[in-house]
Amino acid sequence: MPSGTIWKGSIHFGDSHVPVKLHSAVKQERIQFHLLHRSDRVRLHQQMICAYENIPVPAEDQIKGFEVEEGKYLIVDPEELELTTPESSRMIEVHEFVKSGQISPLFLDHTYYLEPDSDIKAPGYSELAELLRGMDAAGICTWTMRKRSYLGALQASGRMLRLCTMRYADEVLTAASLELQEIDVSEKELKIGSDLINQLTAPFEPRKFVNEHQQRLQKLIDTKARGEKVVLLRPRTLRPTPPDELLQALEASLKKAA
Amino acid sequence: MWDGTISFSLVAIPVRLVKAVKPGRITFRTLHRADYSPLARRMFCPEHEQIVPPDEIIRGYELAPGRYLPVTDEELESVSPERSRTIEIIDFIDLDEVDPVYFDHPYYLAPLKGGEKAYRLLAEVMRRTNKAGLAKFVMVEREYLVAVVSMEGALAMITLHYSEEVLPDNGIAPKEAKLEAVEKKRMERSIRNMTAEFDPAKYADLRREKVVDLLNLKMKEQAPVEAPVLEEEEGEGPADLVAALEEIMREVKNKP
Repeated sequence: MPSGTIWKGSIHFGDSHVPVKLHSAVKQERIQFHLLHRSDRVRLHQQMICAYENIPVPAEDQIKGFEVEEGKYLIVDPEELELTTPESSRMIEVHEFVKSGQISPLFLDHTYYLEPDSDIKAPGYSELAELLRGMDAAGICTWTMRKRSYLGALQASGRMLRLCTMRYADEVLTAASLELQEIDVSEKELKIGSDLINQLTAPFEPRKFVNEHQQRLQKLIDTKARGEKVVLLRPRTLRPTPPDELLQALEASLKKAA
Repeated sequence: MWDGTISFSLVAIPVRLVKAVKPGRITFRTLHRADYSPLARRMFCPEHEQIVPPDEIIRGYELAPGRYLPVTDEELESVSPERSRTIEIIDFIDLDEVDPVYFDHPYYLAPLKGGEKAYRLLAEVMRRTNKAGLAKFVMVEREYLVAVVSMEGALAMITLHYSEEVLPDNGIAPKEAKLEAVEKKRMERSIRNMTAEFDPAKYADLRREKVVDLLNLKMKEQAPVEAPVLEEEEGEGPADLVAALEEIMREVKNKP
């Protein structure tokens, strides 16, 4: 079963209201490390230190400032900031619908499963899911949850509706920011490259991939905890393919894949 | 950030991992009320009651409450030596097959010297074929399953959740429901009327706009304070290590 309800709201567009409950779709559990003091293995804590006096500063002596220019701060009262938190509402407002494929994956953040809110008689959920699926459409919507405003994409997955939070446009860097230089690649190289990729294509089966590293990490911890010695291995490095050997490497790869 | 090689079959391309996302949140500095000096996050030893410099900090795994097993970077890198410097594409997949629920965090890969041509080739070929490369790689103490995708001539790398991290959704979607034809028709009309091209730039964070308004108003009303000038640069060791440690601390804090 999915995790508990984290928020309730109502999808709104046109004349339609669809009440839903949000459930997290993803849960990460990973081995965690702590930071220790080398000399006595005491666990360290984070502390705010005054850069000028080099002393710890307790919470009551901390204030917030916005840096207007280097070293100059505009003091901001927490109560003033509190006034900027969005008004809470239970409305997931759909502003427009787009083709699902138009949303770049760089924008997608965290997915939630939507459950029809059965406490309220909820017509529309199944109808909306079927329409979005059939039209391959996503609703771009905004809502307020836990004192934060969110932008998201409403999509169908089978008979279920899902809501995926999206990053704002100015939070996603464009590929142009990499300032890549134009480089000519010959049609022959592109053709062999395409053939190779088609040869190496398999269905996406995420179940095939387990976090082996996590298992090996656990083994390392167990070995060390028993007081046994760990063999250190050097990271593997690959020799980059020089540009004038690219065609040759592609042809050899294609031969190998066939 | 991270330098290594991305490879597919017998082709290896030297690349650097770069950020694809920067938080748009307006950030405030925490200052000392007494002298307006900015505060820095430092690691503090409660036993010695002292600030601990980065070269005295080690990583530890908690075996039992208060009992830690120290683990070195070399040991961590040794866990998956074949993946800590190499992003090896195992399969190519049809990009459309990837359920967006798997997407976690995006990065770009930038070509390093000598890799520009092979980089360009891989980006162009994946664009033409609408394919993505599936790879595994290890950074710090984590192994990531990633999708390498072609994005406006560049290679982007999106970390994916493992399938065991994606929660089952059984029981949420309604069972075979009888659809209300009238309701469906009405919704369809609304959707058609509201259909547009995807343009994320249309949407701004309203909270952020309000904060900017507040700051502009305050600028007119009050003068900024000045922090004392530091005698010398903060001698806190290599900046990237401090940043890396803070990153680790954030991850620890974000543990659900």
